[in-house]
Amino acid sequence: MAKQGENNIKLGLFVLAGLFVLIFSFYLIGKNHSLFGSNFRIRVRFSNLNGLTEGSNVLFSGIQAGTVNTINMINDTTIEVTLLIDDKVGSFIHRNAIAAIGTEGLMGNKIVNIVPAKTPGAAITEGDLLAAQKIVNTDEMLQTLSKTNNNIALISEAIKGTVLKINGSALMDLLNDQRIGSSLRSSLKHIDKAAGNAMQITAGLDELVAGIKKGKGTAGALLSDTAVARNLQAAMFKIRKASDNADQLTAHLNNLVQTLDRQLNRGNGSLQVLLRDSVFARDLKTTMDNLQKGTSGFNQNMEALKHNFLFRGYFKNKEKEKH
Amino acid sequence: MLPIAIIRDFLDETGTLGRFTGRFFSTGLKPRFEFKELLNQCYIIGYKSLPLIALTGFIMGLVLTMQLRPSLVDYGVESQLPVMVGIAIVREIGPVITALIFAGKIASSIGAELGSMKVTEQIDAMEVSGTNPFKYLVATRALATTLMLPVLTVMGDAISLLGAYIGVNIRSVTSFYLFFTQIFHSLTFGDALPAFIKTFFFGFAVGMIGCYKGYTSSKGTRGVGSSANSAVVLSSVVIFIIDLLAVQLTDLLGLN
Repeated sequence: MAKQGENNIKLGLFVLAGLFVLIFSFYLIGKNHSLFGSNFRIRVRFSNLNGLTEGSNVLFSGIQAGTVNTINMINDTTIEVTLLIDDKVGSFIHRNAIAAIGTEGLMGNKIVNIVPAKTPGAAITEGDLLAAQKIVNTDEMLQTLSKTNNNIALISEAIKGTVLKINGSALMDLLNDQRIGSSLRSSLKHIDKAAGNAMQITAGLDELVAGIKKGKGTAGALLSDTAVARNLQAAMFKIRKASDNADQLTAHLNNLVQTLDRQLNRGNGSLQVLLRDSVFARDLKTTMDNLQKGTSGFNQNMEALKHNFLFRGYFKNKEKEKH
Repeated sequence: MLPIAIIRDFLDETGTLGRFTGRFFSTGLKPRFEFKELLNQCYIIGYKSLPLIALTGFIMGLVLTMQLRPSLVDYGVESQLPVMVGIAIVREIGPVITALIFAGKIASSIGAELGSMKVTEQIDAMEVSGTNPFKYLVATRALATTLMLPVLTVMGDAISLLGAYIGVNIRSVTSFYLFFTQIFHSLTFGDALPAFIKTFFFGFAVGMIGCYKGYTSSKGTRGVGSSANSAVVLSSVVIFIIDLLAVQLTDLLGLN
């Protein structure tokens, strides 16, 4: 009898343990599907549910907020989904929040994602209608992908042609030429050297400028010495004065030229005769010829005189004085 | 044996089993109840089967997890391993495997026990002594199996999930809380309730078939072994048939 009682206790414990596991499991399942605790209903209207079913999860900013309660077709383009939202999370949802249908993971179940709006709004209450975001359909995505693929095919064909052209061109020979590398290296060395020189020059210039600033050298004196500046100013004044005089001189010369020009045009004066009278020119030429002939004859007479015994001594003395 | 004879024997057997089941509802559930014997049978059938169910359930969860893992890793959804194992155990594998182990242990034991009582004419002696052998032997055992298998299944499922948790943690690290949160987050009443309800039918089938085979045992001691054997085979087949009907029904009701 005592054995029987012990067995009954064991059996009771076994059954109670089983019932506890069962009830706890059902409680956890129910809790995840918003069957316990206080909640309220809100509505969202979609044009395409993309496989969303009753009982699907509702997330608010990634937190489990409730489940899809009912799905009703209103017309051929509008489907109203009633969401059962947990009170604890629901108090944070505002009326301007946006609901969108998403997927759990890459290939998981469909869910409703409620995304809070960036601007503040009134808290949501029982029966409110949330705005729905249009979902990107997989078919639409595939269609876009197909277009992209076609474009990629065209682009790759064009790139292929270009590559083939480049392959047979001088550019490819240039790229394949191994000497270019060494030339480039030596060029770079030269550039490096030139840069070094340029740096030195710059440093020199820098020094020079510093010197000039300090008033060293002619340029420095020019820029910084006030006495030089005054002298320069005086020189400039004189140059200006000389230039004024030159102006006056030019004006006088101009007058003279005009006077001469006028005289030439009127035909009086010796210059006009010199320049324009052809008879006088011919006479002058004849006179010049005669003079040349006379000079030549005179030279001959003089030469004859040099050889004459009367004058020979005189000329010899002259030669000796020269040397 | 001619096919017609086989069909006739099958139909005869089915009809007799149907009548035997009908007798359970017509007389077995009427007062006066054998509570004491019912509790005793519950202890023997339920409590004493727990170690076997726990062991097989634990190994089943562990092995299932380790076998599923490579495929899920190939698909890059290793993180879904707890969900997949959890749903598989709760919906199908847990109830069916537990029922089959239960049938192997209990149907054979009932078949052999009642069969030996039958061939040694103890059942007839009970009738003579004024005790209703059907109520005392069959109704208590059938009720005990019907009530105990769901409890065993729940316990078996829990232990299987524990095995699955260890299986997951052999190759990767998942916290106990995350593992069970993932499972219960993905489970719905549509998964758990039909699986739980069908175990009552599994238990009833195991009890009724075990009792039927033992109660109708004949041909001496050879018949006892045959009864025990056929009780296990038939109850296993009936478990699968009930499972098939259950899945069709849940599908019709939109619970899948």
